[in-house]
Amino acid sequence: MSDKSKVETTGHQWDDDEGYPLKEYNNPLPKWWLYTFYATIVWAVVYWFFYPTWPMVDDYTRGLLGWSMHKQLDEEMAEAQVQQKPFNDRLEQMSLADITRDPQLQQYAISGGKAIFGDNCAPCHGSGGVGSLAGGFPVLVDDDWLISGTIEGIQETIQTGHTAMMPAHQTEFGGAFTASQVDDLAAYVLSLSGREGDKEAQARGGVLFKGDAGCVGCHGDNGKGSAKDTSGGSPMEKTIGAPNLTDGIWLYGGDAAAVRLSIAKGRSGRMPAWRVGSEGLNRKLSPLAVKQVAVYVHSLGGGQ
Amino acid sequence: MITQRVGTEQYDYDVVKMFTIMSVIYGIVGFLIGVIIALELAFPELNGGIEYISFGRLRPLHTSAVIFAFGGSVLFATSYYVVQRTCKARLFSDFLSRLTFWGWNLVIVGAVVTYPLGLTQGKEYAETIWPIDLLITVVWVAYFINFVGTLAKRKERHIYVANWFYLAFIITVAMLHIVNNLAIPVNLTDSYSIYPGVQDAMIQWWYGHNAVGFFLTAAFLGLMYYFVPKQAERPVYSYRLSIVHFWALVFLYIWAGPHHLHYTALPDWASTLGATFSIMLLLPSWGGMINGIMTLSGAWDKLRTDPILRFFIISLSFYGMSTFEGPMMSIKSVNALSHYTDWTIGHVHSGALGWVAMVSFGAIYHLVPKLWGTTTWSVRLINVHFWLATIGIVIYIVSMWISGVMQGLMWRAYDHYGNLTYSFAETVGAMHPYYVFRAVGGIIFLVGALLMAFNVVKTIGNKTVSSVRVG
Repeated sequence: MSDKSKVETTGHQWDDDEGYPLKEYNNPLPKWWLYTFYATIVWAVVYWFFYPTWPMVDDYTRGLLGWSMHKQLDEEMAEAQVQQKPFNDRLEQMSLADITRDPQLQQYAISGGKAIFGDNCAPCHGSGGVGSLAGGFPVLVDDDWLISGTIEGIQETIQTGHTAMMPAHQTEFGGAFTASQVDDLAAYVLSLSGREGDKEAQARGGVLFKGDAGCVGCHGDNGKGSAKDTSGGSPMEKTIGAPNLTDGIWLYGGDAAAVRLSIAKGRSGRMPAWRVGSEGLNRKLSPLAVKQVAVYVHSLGGGQ
Repeated sequence: MITQRVGTEQYDYDVVKMFTIMSVIYGIVGFLIGVIIALELAFPELNGGIEYISFGRLRPLHTSAVIFAFGGSVLFATSYYVVQRTCKARLFSDFLSRLTFWGWNLVIVGAVVTYPLGLTQGKEYAETIWPIDLLITVVWVAYFINFVGTLAKRKERHIYVANWFYLAFIITVAMLHIVNNLAIPVNLTDSYSIYPGVQDAMIQWWYGHNAVGFFLTAAFLGLMYYFVPKQAERPVYSYRLSIVHFWALVFLYIWAGPHHLHYTALPDWASTLGATFSIMLLLPSWGGMINGIMTLSGAWDKLRTDPILRFFIISLSFYGMSTFEGPMMSIKSVNALSHYTDWTIGHVHSGALGWVAMVSFGAIYHLVPKLWGTTTWSVRLINVHFWLATIGIVIYIVSMWISGVMQGLMWRAYDHYGNLTYSFAETVGAMHPYYVFRAVGGIIFLVGALLMAFNVVKTIGNKTVSSVRVG
């Protein structure tokens, strides 16, 4: 090493056992570094005067701007209120039918309903109401409604929720029918939507369907579901929510095995009630929010 | 082997070797678990429905494996190596050296067993349950005594700068660990923190941020202050800068924790204080980068031939970048966008992969031939590792930046009626491609580490060079 480097270092030296020993130059602090460091300190001290910063005995320095995060929240919420209040006031007062006749108000309700739907309803009904791959949750973009597809009916379903129960039919699952009888029932149900199969099994299944198995009580005389069909010739209670078996749209899967499983073990589905005051769900929707979701779901394509 | 030098006593290289080998093994384990959970985020069904390997249980295993198992082993190995060589003294106690080695590994085994079983106290980077916390305390006190004892019996009059950083790290981590884990046990695996509510959150992030500050920053700066000048064969740029930035760093870092809790139940004043101290921390952090990079000035030509120096220079660059990014993200208005998004994950990894892992790789490549008295098996392979690691990190960080900023913007996007444009699930869906890219970056980085392990094994097995002294 040259003499020059010796002069420049602090003169201390470490780890000289082998290889190059550790030494230190003593260069001055880089000016830009030092002044930028001072600048950050000045910035911080100035900031302390304007914003809440230092804890005192029983309070803290509030800062000249009077800023607080709660105040910021209140201000931003107030700002949003100013924009939304005129719409919300009209939405609250008007009937659903009138809302759908006012394009601007309808657009506003769809915008709000979409946001609420995305974070509350989409986990089961799928993004945009296209249904769930897992099955068991109705698609909302078609016109196959289990209960009602009118805008008032949709609002009612959102508010009160719905529980539907298809009982088990096979003996080992608590039902009253043998495995082969369940096979027959499945063959008949599949034939309702035009599927080919063993004619004799279908005929046996049809007798059970309309007779001992009591399927017509919920699915209707023609298997068209409680929303459309009649039972014993008289109109049905729409809130039964039993699906139409003739349209090729399936809630729990339409292949032979899935249909057979539905009959054998039964199914149960539950849509929670969303109105404020209902039980069993932590998140509630205000009447205004329910209205917006109803308008949104009704607009998805299948609204009646 | 016989030492040829006069005036030195024998060093304890065995414990350094043991920690060095474990650092290579734990590095690979930690990176591998990282790759697995990155893939689980991109393809959630990958855990096969098995709770023991679900993201929530493997994630703390990944963070602990890379920070405490990999990073910790690197720091034990290098601090024991550096303190002996710069003090010209054997480690204070062979017993304490072994106690720290076996104790630390027992801690890691404890974490590996408990995390997948879901046994955790739910504090980030401090998930270990109370019996393991006690063991950590014992190991850490032994480490402190061993390190200070070695400094006390040093044969050099001055204490080299690297040792200040290591000592600050050891003392502060002891304090952080003990204060954050004060809890009342209710049985062998469960305990309740003694702090209520938001105070617990504040203590946790005082711990969490300073774990970054002292474990991953100060300690690795200590490593840098030894290995960079040693490898570059140049004097440290400025002794004065090292003093000023050391004290500024340790004084300012300890205040910055509240910036992890902006816009929460934390009082406004604590939030502001944390943000302003984070801003003031920028230049003290950069002091280490300047000292490291300027040490190389006059030796730039060596970068062409020495891939170990390349590891050091790129690690210092990532260090400078992430210590700039950090204070920016601590500003409330920036934090309102970045917090809870993948931006934070990108930031952490530019520090953890870019700075900590890269500087550690350089140190390991420097150490292994010296410890075993051999020559490096393949310098070319080090170079390949360098490029794989660099490319892997860049892919990782860029995909997390894009994903994070996009997430933050989607969360706050409103339509012209003032309603949210996107549902949360839609923002998750939008992140998918970036999660795939991130996993690819991680895999490339992991492959580099595997090459290092191979090179290390071959180097250890290489023919002994008689002119190099071995412990």
